[in-house]
Amino acid sequence: MGAFFRLQWSGILVGIIAGGIALALSAPAFLSEFNLFVLLRSICVSLLVAYAQMVMLGVGQMNLSVGALGGLVAVVTGGLMDALGVPTLPAIMIGVAAGGAAGFVNGWLTVRTGINGFIVTLATASAFAGINLGITKAVPFYNLPADFVAFGNGRVGLFPLLLIVPLLVTVVLALFFARAVPGRHMLAVGGNAPAAQLSGVSVPRAIISAHVLSGLLAAVAGVLAVAQLGSAQPTIGSDWLLISFAAPIIGGASLAGGAISIVGTLLAVVLIGLIQNAMVLVKVDPYWVQFLLGALILAAVWFNRYRAIKVGEI
Amino acid sequence: MALTVDKASKSFPGVRALKDASLELRSGEVHALMGENGAGKSTLIKIITGVHRPDGGRLLLDGQDVLFASPRDAIRLGISAVHQERNLIPRFSVAENILLENLPRRTGLVDYARANAEAKKYLEMIGLVVDTRTEVRHLSVAQMQMVEIAKALSHEAKVLLLDEPTASLTGEEADALFALVQRLKAQGAAILFVSHKLEEVLAISDRVTVLRDGETTLIGEPMANMTRGRLIEAMIGRAERIAVVRPPKAATGAVKLEASGVATAAGHRDISFTVRRGEILGLYGLVGAGRTELARALVGKDKLSGGTLSIDGKPAVIRSVEEALKRHRIGYLSEDRKYEGVVLLHPIRFNVAMTIWDRLARFLGFQTAAGERRATEPFARQLEIRTPSLEQSVGNLSGGNQQKVSLAKWLAAKVDLLIIDEPTVGIDIKTKAYIHELIGKLADDGLAILLISSELPEMVALADRILVMHEFRIVDGFDNDRSYEAMSRKVMGAIHRHSDEAVAVE
Repeated sequence: MGAFFRLQWSGILVGIIAGGIALALSAPAFLSEFNLFVLLRSICVSLLVAYAQMVMLGVGQMNLSVGALGGLVAVVTGGLMDALGVPTLPAIMIGVAAGGAAGFVNGWLTVRTGINGFIVTLATASAFAGINLGITKAVPFYNLPADFVAFGNGRVGLFPLLLIVPLLVTVVLALFFARAVPGRHMLAVGGNAPAAQLSGVSVPRAIISAHVLSGLLAAVAGVLAVAQLGSAQPTIGSDWLLISFAAPIIGGASLAGGAISIVGTLLAVVLIGLIQNAMVLVKVDPYWVQFLLGALILAAVWFNRYRAIKVGEI
Repeated sequence: MALTVDKASKSFPGVRALKDASLELRSGEVHALMGENGAGKSTLIKIITGVHRPDGGRLLLDGQDVLFASPRDAIRLGISAVHQERNLIPRFSVAENILLENLPRRTGLVDYARANAEAKKYLEMIGLVVDTRTEVRHLSVAQMQMVEIAKALSHEAKVLLLDEPTASLTGEEADALFALVQRLKAQGAAILFVSHKLEEVLAISDRVTVLRDGETTLIGEPMANMTRGRLIEAMIGRAERIAVVRPPKAATGAVKLEASGVATAAGHRDISFTVRRGEILGLYGLVGAGRTELARALVGKDKLSGGTLSIDGKPAVIRSVEEALKRHRIGYLSEDRKYEGVVLLHPIRFNVAMTIWDRLARFLGFQTAAGERRATEPFARQLEIRTPSLEQSVGNLSGGNQQKVSLAKWLAAKVDLLIIDEPTVGIDIKTKAYIHELIGKLADDGLAILLISSELPEMVALADRILVMHEFRIVDGFDNDRSYEAMSRKVMGAIHRHSDEAVAVE
């Protein structure tokens, strides 16, 4: 038990299991196939959003524009399909590439101007949201290819088809940060930038790469959100910021940089999804959901910090 | 490989850090670079390692002029610097830290099996026994330093620069390091050993170069011709390093603070001592002995986990820094002047008045600049803070004057007990002597002072009694008879005795 408690994500797993049991007992609808499908589907976008921020925390930076960037990619992709009639796959590829390019802009500005990445991405967030509104005039794109929307809502038993994407991304990211040289370089820069630099690691390159990766992940999240909703809403991404920080940090990432946990982030997203699902099932007044979510996330982060102090990590 | 610095100069805004400094380093020697804080050692090191470019003078490698655009250029040409634990990535394994820029890969992915095998080779070269998969943050400081040396070897370093390598090592760890240095020297490495500990330098170096006020006062002098006295003279320009000696005095003032059996979460056990008014109690120990942590507990920044305090003869509990200051009149002058001592961007009057704002408050709690100036003036005069005006930002003052501002802050607060932590780090010799004099005067005026220092000469010059702290315990205590030699023997004896005991128990 002691060794288990030492694992960064042990508390989250306990929380998920305890929460799941409590829900199953108090709300029978929880275990229905459809509810579990809804729960899993809600996790898909969140997980990618969380990874988009986790990558930035790994390199010791932040990206406040994840939501605006994902939202922009969502309307660009939807617009290409609806207004310009571009086929599904090319439209998605252009959208995701645009996300990578936006990430590159974030990274390049941070490295080149020397302005704190916090401020850079705060400003680009506003800029991306502005482009979004300029393109859409706040009107969603509804007319999307049927196969695309079907993918967003299809399921095999309780598993949404959508889940394939974040699972694939999880495996690739785990490999990238554990074994790939650019991934290790990002974590080295996040852990001790001067030391990494003296060892021949290019700090600017690591920071820009992290921003590009973050942009790509937020872009994929945007595309999935469109598929799931069946329309490219200009408001996609507007509520991503909290979860983007909360999940990696509950999962054990350090705001100081260099320390991230993919398993931890994954479990944290599941926990947050469970909390949201629970609030629907026990019929919490929708006007108070936002408040409760904030409070519960704070409690989860607090608990994990307490655990980290107890086992001497901090 | 031979590295030569020929008449290098370097200026920063307002200071000439190096004036025609020279150094000649040969392969197969241990060359000591000595000098007081602020003598220009770190500037010279930064020139050699490519961090700074000299304004004038030449840098030669095997007789060829070289110019480093960045530290990486220096590393590529075989010059590696080993700092304390600073150049490692805490959450990476030993192997990955050693091979970071050159990780072996297979099909694009890091090949950890090979990395571990390769790193092990370097660890064997230096005789460090740790699992190459251990995360560096779990190692001791001494082990981290060894890992850094292994890393330098993996860069095929021919010139190895050891910057104050023993500052946080125990006696035995230092001996192990010196043995390694001798082995590397025998293999033909050129080793530049930067230190201000005379004993070490005398013991392991072949030649010595000394800096004083940015100039080289000794260049590559063979150690065989050296004596303590000559080295000290070269460093400070006087045969006697101790500038001010407070005459020994029996402590007669009332007891201000008495600690009995104090323990803390940081690891202190059974700490007992008393400080009287008018007395300077020295707390000596190596870096990492737990001195600063004890100070933090005494001023209420950290909690005591055991033992009792009595202040002015009454049992007391200190729950916060505010309580320490306002109720018990205890102040703490931090060793970290820039982060914990002064607010660099703010003017002198702001910094000094900070501790007494509640006293200066006027109508509805508002402060006035004039009020702050009036409160600051007497102390600025008393401490001779050199500045055109009290409106000057503290960041624009010299280190010595900044230290006077932080002292003034506590004088203004009228504390009875001042804990002074490393008061002269990074301060030039003249100001240092002045600050020593000042601390002496404050004690003569009836202040109780707990002086923390890792500079033994400073201790011997100032303290009435010296407590020796080692591994979070007070291992010895004695009256200071003002003889450096005798005190040095006693203090070092106490530390070594207890390091040996610790080993024997293990």
